[in-house]
Amino acid sequence: MSAAMEKSLAKKTVIGTRVPKPDAPDKATGRTRYINDMVLPRMLVGKILHTDRVHAKIISIDTRAAKALPGVHAVLTGDDIPELRFGPTRDNFPLKSKKVRCIRDEVAAVAAESEEIADQAIALIKVEYKDLKPVFSASEALSKGAPVVHEDHPDNRSLYYEFSHGDIAAAEAASDIVVEHEFEVPYVTHCCMGPSCVLADFDTTGKLTIYSQTQYPYNYKMDLAPALGIHPGDIRVIQPPVGGAFGSKLDVYPFEPICALLAKATRRPVKLTFSREEEFINSPTRQPVEFRIRSGVNKDGSLTFRSVDALLNNGAYTSWGPTTPVIQMRTFTGHFRVPAVEYKGLAAYTNNVYAGSFRGYGNVQATFVTASVMDMLAEEVGMDPIAFRLKNAQKSGEVTPQGSILDDCRLGDCIEIAAGKTDFLSKHAANIKNRDVPGTRKYGIGIATSIHNAGGAKIHKSDGCGTILKLDDYARATLITGASEIGQGIDAVLSQIVMEELGIPFADITIVNNDSALGPWDVGVHASRTTFIAGNSALRAARAARKQVLDAAAKQSNVTAEQLDLREGHVVQADNGVAIIKLDRLLRQMHFGEDHELVMVTDYYEPNSEPEDRNHVGNLSASWAHGAYVAEVEVDTGTGEVKVLKITAVQDVGRVINRLGIEGQMEGGISVSLGYALSEQLQMEDGKVLNPSFRDYKVPTAPETPEIELHFVESDCKEGPMGAKGIAELPAIIPAPAIANAVYNAIGVRFFAPPLTPEKVARALHQASFQ
Amino acid sequence: MNIENYEVPVSIVEAVQSLQHGDATILAGGTDLTPQTTSGAKEFLRTLINIQHIEEMRGISVDDGRYRIGGLTTVTDILESALLAAEVPVLVDAADHFASSQIRNAASLAGNICNASPAGDMIIPLLLLDAEVELAGWIDGTLSMRSIALIDFFTGPGKTAMQGNELLTSIVFAAPVEGFRAEFLKSGPRPALEISMVSMGVAAVQKEGVLSNVRVAIGAVAPTPIRARATEAVLEGQLLDESLVDEAAAAAGREVSPIDDVRASAWYRSHLTGVYIRRLLNVVGN
Ligand SMILES: Cc1cc2nc3c(=O)[nH]c(=O)nc-3n(C[C@H](O)[C@H](O)[C@H](O)COP(=O)(O)OP(=O)(O)OC[C@H]3O[C@@H](n4cnc5c(N)ncnc54)[C@H](O)[C@@H]3O)c2cc1C
Repeated sequence: MSAAMEKSLAKKTVIGTRVPKPDAPDKATGRTRYINDMVLPRMLVGKILHTDRVHAKIISIDTRAAKALPGVHAVLTGDDIPELRFGPTRDNFPLKSKKVRCIRDEVAAVAAESEEIADQAIALIKVEYKDLKPVFSASEALSKGAPVVHEDHPDNRSLYYEFSHGDIAAAEAASDIVVEHEFEVPYVTHCCMGPSCVLADFDTTGKLTIYSQTQYPYNYKMDLAPALGIHPGDIRVIQPPVGGAFGSKLDVYPFEPICALLAKATRRPVKLTFSREEEFINSPTRQPVEFRIRSGVNKDGSLTFRSVDALLNNGAYTSWGPTTPVIQMRTFTGHFRVPAVEYKGLAAYTNNVYAGSFRGYGNVQATFVTASVMDMLAEEVGMDPIAFRLKNAQKSGEVTPQGSILDDCRLGDCIEIAAGKTDFLSKHAANIKNRDVPGTRKYGIGIATSIHNAGGAKIHKSDGCGTILKLDDYARATLITGASEIGQGIDAVLSQIVMEELGIPFADITIVNNDSALGPWDVGVHASRTTFIAGNSALRAARAARKQVLDAAAKQSNVTAEQLDLREGHVVQADNGVAIIKLDRLLRQMHFGEDHELVMVTDYYEPNSEPEDRNHVGNLSASWAHGAYVAEVEVDTGTGEVKVLKITAVQDVGRVINRLGIEGQMEGGISVSLGYALSEQLQMEDGKVLNPSFRDYKVPTAPETPEIELHFVESDCKEGPMGAKGIAELPAIIPAPAIANAVYNAIGVRFFAPPLTPEKVARALHQASFQ
Repeated sequence: MNIENYEVPVSIVEAVQSLQHGDATILAGGTDLTPQTTSGAKEFLRTLINIQHIEEMRGISVDDGRYRIGGLTTVTDILESALLAAEVPVLVDAADHFASSQIRNAASLAGNICNASPAGDMIIPLLLLDAEVELAGWIDGTLSMRSIALIDFFTGPGKTAMQGNELLTSIVFAAPVEGFRAEFLKSGPRPALEISMVSMGVAAVQKEGVLSNVRVAIGAVAPTPIRARATEAVLEGQLLDESLVDEAAAAAGREVSPIDDVRASAWYRSHLTGVYIRRLLNVVGN
């Protein structure tokens, strides 16, 4: 052993430290190459003709002039392609040939030499329609004699979900107080900075390479194939960096098969990009819902029953939006103890645009309702919002009626910390007194809580993720994971896990997750699952690699593998940190020595969760997490403007892995929820989008972003990687109702339909002043 | 139509010569023109004249009690002007409520006026100052200048009294009289990057509670930005008390004719008109 080797390396952990995202420098300096930047040789530009009707029969489509335009290589209509269905319930078609059902409908598509020629060609296509009577509201769509959106669904019923637990009627009869409320939550959209974009390229054997923004590359192949009539195995998905996804890229949308069909027709690569206006109109929204909720409570403050009717506007086709009741109902049935509870969710086809999944997946809507109702019930029984919640909060060891196992429930902790850190009760009482003091500036404080799956969600048959980890001769690690990076920061988290186990620096780790031909399967980036699931798989792979390395090192020295550790690129003695051999040297010895051993491990991790049964019962997630958020607001009673002064977020995160990453996720989520609470709404009138621009669709900007204070409850989840839980959706779920509750605290007016725009608040105050 | 000629004049004379035959689009900062032509709301004419290089159309000066602001002066220039901050702060205040830094750096004062939106923010303070605009043309082989009161410049949404061969070169106004106080308010659900649902300016000289030189200008409540003359008349020479504020608010309510659109309802615009006039009188009258 050389003298230089006799240094002692102390054990250092990177878990919980602040690690910048590896993709950040390129993004900040404009070097990142999105699909939007890509050019392939011979590439054509694709463009879609969207209808200008909301419900009409297509009489004829005349493409002659468009086809004759020099520079146009293909013009496709539904008549040029087989009528292939796709979508979660197979009710969508790439190009519509018989009728159009909403303003998004794609009636023709063009591939041309340039954007300008494609635009001209689109303008030359003439479509003759016969308008049909449209239907826009879900309740009208369900009424007798309503216009039929899909002929094979004459009653306009799309999806239906029902869950029931306990004897509702008996519980209602025995309740001291019974109240009923109606809520309506709006259309909002993801507002990804990078508009939708796809590039399709067929090889000579008919295999498709698709450069996609998808956040679920493996099932994407399965979902895209039926729209193209090809085998899923013949699709290779390449994932360049994306400019935001937030759930919007968890499905196949018509522009993707259309682009591929254009590529097939022209035998050239075709790229199709949405303009911002197209993005606002044609990309998915969050699911709008009308709720009717009956709730019972006893005078002592205990909840007795809850009965929820959710009516979902399905729009013209089915993406994931109408499936969100699966997650939505878990919040109604769990998190606060409700002895008898039922939920019915029905989606009705209309001629509106349709919803996909959106960060929070149904729980955004459910939490707006439950958190508002909890405050109203507290007031009914004369309890403060904190005591009332604590009384009904579920505790460790409880199992919810739907079978969510709360083995380590920190809801009560979260509420207590949130109330304590914000001096909630004294402010709450003072604000109520201040309502009657003259002046137009009123202050409010409000709390909201929720539960969300924090260990994946087994809505597919597998909720797993695969990993391939290799170490090269220079002790550089490459981790090939099924989990996509869509900006959420998984590359940093997985790197930290490898660093922690293998003692190598951040710069020596490469994460590969952009090619479905390389990566092992993963279900997709959704359900707050990636750190938990991909993290566990990476951890198991890293531990296997570690074992292989330490076994080899142990073989060379006179100690056991258990007595060794990996630190700072060295094999060291675990007890005193004295270096034995440099890791790269050991790896070369393993590789080129007698054993010819290469460090290359694989892992597939399947979480310990179960799919729901037909009655929606089952422990859907390997872990559950709670959060309690407090909003402090200022309301201008003249203009109706609500200014959020501060959000205090308390959340069970299991364990912080990347502190910088978790702060970014939580702050970003809070911003999304702030928009939902106060300003964002895709305004729909007669099936048309009235505000398809950032001028008129109001996402929060920096000046109205409040002060944010974060508190992490580290419960050290026994199933989670390093103890971590999934955290990404709760921050986008809880703030909105906390803000609405704070506005109530300030002015005594309750809002049942976000967003709380200045006009809405001013009108409500104006009406209240006449009562 | 497609643009056939592109011209980059460096002087007012060169610019109006290019403009003399009409059929030309003037490009200043392009922050209105670009979105309008992209969306198809407006079409380019045959010649595109980029006026950005006419240096004599930039800058803020005061000479013998008259202020002159070059048409190409940007909103950022106004925001950063020490002279205006000291002497005419209402212009700086309006600039501070205007768009975002990026837009302010490009947006010109002439462009804001010539776009003739009822919601143009810089117009309101200029109306309080009784500003005039100077228009240049090329007539019979010479440069011809005329000036017109800003309030008479607007004839409808996007419509002005300017001819197709004219260029707005500068904005002029007299130095405010001693004791003149002017204030500006603008609405929006978010404090930045917001097209006004209502914008309002109120100016007056207040002496022992009595108002004189009263001016009230309101944006986004009528086809053009307006001067609320009847409201001014209610206030002029009167002692400002609660009942006068009520009267003024009622008068202002009668003078506006707001519409419903995607940004706000007519009801809300009327409501804000009432809220704003009360708030502004409260400040100006103190
Ligand atoms: C994101 C965004 C936010 C905005 N926010 C605001 C806001 O908060 N408040 C507000 O008032 N406006 C706002 N605007 C509108 C716009 O920025 C302003 O109206 C700006 O002042 C226009 O100036 P410009 O130099 O860019 O004009 P341009 O777009 O170049 O021109 C506007 C019009 O005026 C004509 N024109 C320009 N200069 C002259 C001239 N010297 N003589 C004759 N005609 C001329 C042009 O031909 C064109 O028709 C916003 C715009 C955007 C894109």
